[in-house]
Amino acid sequence: MSWIDEFIPRRKFLELSFKGGLALAATPALLSQLLSCRGPERGQVIPVIDPQLLQRIIDYALKNGGEFAEVYLENRISRRIIMEESKFKSAVFGISQGAGVRVIAGNKTGYAYTEEINEANLKRAAQIASTIARGSKAVPPVDIKEAPRQSFITVQVPLQEVADEKRLEVIQRANQAGLDFDPRIKMVFINYYDEIRGRVIANSEGLLVKDELPLLFFIVQTLAVGDKNRHLGRERLSRHSGFEMFDEVTPEEVARRAARESIAMLEADDCPAGQMDVVIQNGWGGVLVHEAVGHPLEADNIAKKIGAFTGKLGQKVAADIFTMVDDGTLPNRRGTTNFDDEGTQMKRNVLIRNGVLEKYMTDILSAKQLKMARTGNGRRQSFRHLPIPRMTNTFIDKGRDKPEDILASTKKGLYVQSLSGGSVNPITGIFNFTCREAYLIENGRKTKPVKGATLIGSCLDIIQNIDAIGNDLDFGPGICGKGGQSAEVSAGQPTVRIRGINVGGTKARR
Amino acid sequence: MDYKILTEDLVKLCLKKGADAAEVYLEVNRHLSVEIRNQEIETVEEASSHGVGFRVFTKGRMAFASCNDFSEKSLEEAITRAINMSHHTTSDENNILPDNQDISPAKELYDPSLKNIELEKKIALAMEAEKIALASPQITKSAGASYGEIEREIFLANSNGLSKNFKESACSFGVSVVAEKGEEKSSGGEYCARRFFTDLKKPEEVATKAAQDAYEMLNARLVKTQQAAVIFDPDVARAILGGILGAVNGERVLQGASFLKDKLNQKIASELITIIDDGLLPKGLSSRPFDGEGVPTQKRAIVEQGILKGFMYNTIVARRAGVQSTGNASRAGFTSLPGIGPHNFYLMAGPHHREEIIKATKRGLLLKGVTGYGINPVNGHFSGGASGFWIENGRIAFPVKGLTIAGQAFQMLMSIDMVADDLDLNRSFTAPTFRIPVMQIGGK
Repeated sequence: MSWIDEFIPRRKFLELSFKGGLALAATPALLSQLLSCRGPERGQVIPVIDPQLLQRIIDYALKNGGEFAEVYLENRISRRIIMEESKFKSAVFGISQGAGVRVIAGNKTGYAYTEEINEANLKRAAQIASTIARGSKAVPPVDIKEAPRQSFITVQVPLQEVADEKRLEVIQRANQAGLDFDPRIKMVFINYYDEIRGRVIANSEGLLVKDELPLLFFIVQTLAVGDKNRHLGRERLSRHSGFEMFDEVTPEEVARRAARESIAMLEADDCPAGQMDVVIQNGWGGVLVHEAVGHPLEADNIAKKIGAFTGKLGQKVAADIFTMVDDGTLPNRRGTTNFDDEGTQMKRNVLIRNGVLEKYMTDILSAKQLKMARTGNGRRQSFRHLPIPRMTNTFIDKGRDKPEDILASTKKGLYVQSLSGGSVNPITGIFNFTCREAYLIENGRKTKPVKGATLIGSCLDIIQNIDAIGNDLDFGPGICGKGGQSAEVSAGQPTVRIRGINVGGTKARR
Repeated sequence: MDYKILTEDLVKLCLKKGADAAEVYLEVNRHLSVEIRNQEIETVEEASSHGVGFRVFTKGRMAFASCNDFSEKSLEEAITRAINMSHHTTSDENNILPDNQDISPAKELYDPSLKNIELEKKIALAMEAEKIALASPQITKSAGASYGEIEREIFLANSNGLSKNFKESACSFGVSVVAEKGEEKSSGGEYCARRFFTDLKKPEEVATKAAQDAYEMLNARLVKTQQAAVIFDPDVARAILGGILGAVNGERVLQGASFLKDKLNQKIASELITIIDDGLLPKGLSSRPFDGEGVPTQKRAIVEQGILKGFMYNTIVARRAGVQSTGNASRAGFTSLPGIGPHNFYLMAGPHHREEIIKATKRGLLLKGVTGYGINPVNGHFSGGASGFWIENGRIAFPVKGLTIAGQAFQMLMSIDMVADDLDLNRSFTAPTFRIPVMQIGGK
């Protein structure tokens, strides 16, 4: 993110994102902005603080009035290692710490943060945050008490115990496998990232929770150069887990997937333009519903009565076969945590069941405004940001069709093997996606690869036009951008078919 | 705390701890952000922050560490971490730091009065903009208005004896609204950002544009799939400039990952096209006296009358390419290594009025919104979602949405046949209105 993006007010940033297509732009550059960290070895990542001090800050934050106060402390240690042209180009180590104080009074929110955590600084932050509550009704705080939280993240090989040499080895293995895949692979770009984030959250409802979350993010891009074309393929692997992730999916496998895409797309032809039937392969293709349906179901725009799904709760909004879920409890997935960044326990939330809209995704503020339950979707990029409703692991639930039957029964159209990402305007519901790897469908078979096409449509239309859902649910990791904040998510789906999507290609229709 | 001395001392500490060469980049920020909706304050955020990044070299190997805790213990730990990590990276003879002591005359980047202007006056801009936008008859709801400001001071020192610093500020306000007609919704937003508070536009101007963008798109429809002219509005400049920017990154060029890699001094665009990267523009939002590693910035043509004149470099990549740094080392804050990026990057204005271009277009699309990633910098493919207005016989006929447009970068750039005079340099990444006579449009 540039300096400009940083200070443009968040709402405008959202608007610009639509215009510029920046939302969900999964670029390492964006990532590098958010990652930083602290405290070296095991056990030290969770910020150490006296609970009585937390209580004093909460009490102080509500002294002018207000109904809710919260202190959020965070420590983060991160490592990033970059390989390009078979060279370890750089290694980046980050230590970051800080605490944010939030006060809510009616629909007003005050927020301030400090990077050096001591009583004086926390009080100053509480003072600033409480300015908005001046003169409003005061709700007395409840004494904080540590609450247990179920864990959905298991670690076998803690990142703290992994020698840097191990990290380098994983990178080298992926690099070699990428280059060995085909002589037309000219270069491999590898971006290895891991972090440990420690959190302490306390609020005036008496909550006190703590935890430590490991995260691994491994991105391999391979550049293939052919006679007339050039293609940068990509594969990503990410989990909240220990280093055992690389035993389950090897670095070689990640590199080979990227390389396969690069080589396949060297033969890509111009894509036809216009409306056609589209089959999307299982996995990260779920970013389609993440954008098209997920963002419009985040409760902040619903509470403001401007979201595309405003007033549609309990109504039939999608085809009968369509069930969509946001589940922050799927073991070790990239969107999973034990509790959200407001301390709410993670849950499995069915958003749309058999076509009927059942739930919006809320944070504390929007749940209060809508008089709905908290769903565990209050997330923030870091202590420098306010929590807002965000997705976790979002997916179309599996259906009954066999993926091969879905393809065979599609006479003509586009087969999308993988998507780069997309964006949506949550008010109008207009979304778009960019294909990474796509093929023409001719007489029920995948034929020629076609160049990066755009898919575009309206969220309300698309979920009514899904007419086949496979039994092969799978997930992919991604970075989601909203209101200037990044969040780690996963998106998933089985193979699905959508009738009549508008496809943007360079060639007139066949 | 005297940050200049601290930065210089930290360079010495890096050397003492074993670095052969070192650079320290320190940032001090203050920011304020206020969001309002329906004439009431919704959020107020205010904070000061700082952080420091250490780039160290041992035997030609480079590593980096950052921290935001300025206690002696934390600073020392970060330096030690950086030095330890440098033992793992690959040695490269090009891994050097700049030694140029000059600074360029980028003027008026800091508004000293900004922090003293009362909060009420700042909030009033957002309040007023929202009020005016909501008064427009087709506008039904506010999606919020906001005011934001930031002040930043940057200190940079390295072991070549370079020590520089500068201050910058920026402020902005904006509003987003919704227009509705039956089930149909349309959103529009506008903002204004400036270095100096007194240079901000009047709320009326911002509000009128936001409301217009929303209600003009009501009743938008699809047109048939066809080939037609596409007129790019300044609001969609990013769609075309973004891919060019990625492709003139000197490092991607050396790696072969750029569609412009073999095109230096060749014609890549129509003669009407001149693209400038300007680090010196007075009051420019992306102007600065030196780049992310201390090299003076400059104003240079990247494309001149259609000829590709140069790529962008930082110090390391320039040395590898056998050229001088172009002052394009970019920093995404104190937590990351310098990359390569632009300053004020824009397409120069042309001779036509915007109305003339519309009038000269028999059938086509006036493009107001593009979604997607723009031009792919690796292979030049372009495909995106499109919305705007349909033009028939030189007149705006009706709004359109849900369309797609696609093309190839060279074809698109070479065929640009009209460029307007409406360039607004108050935006840092911008273009005037221009026309591509034929593109593939996807619709019904």
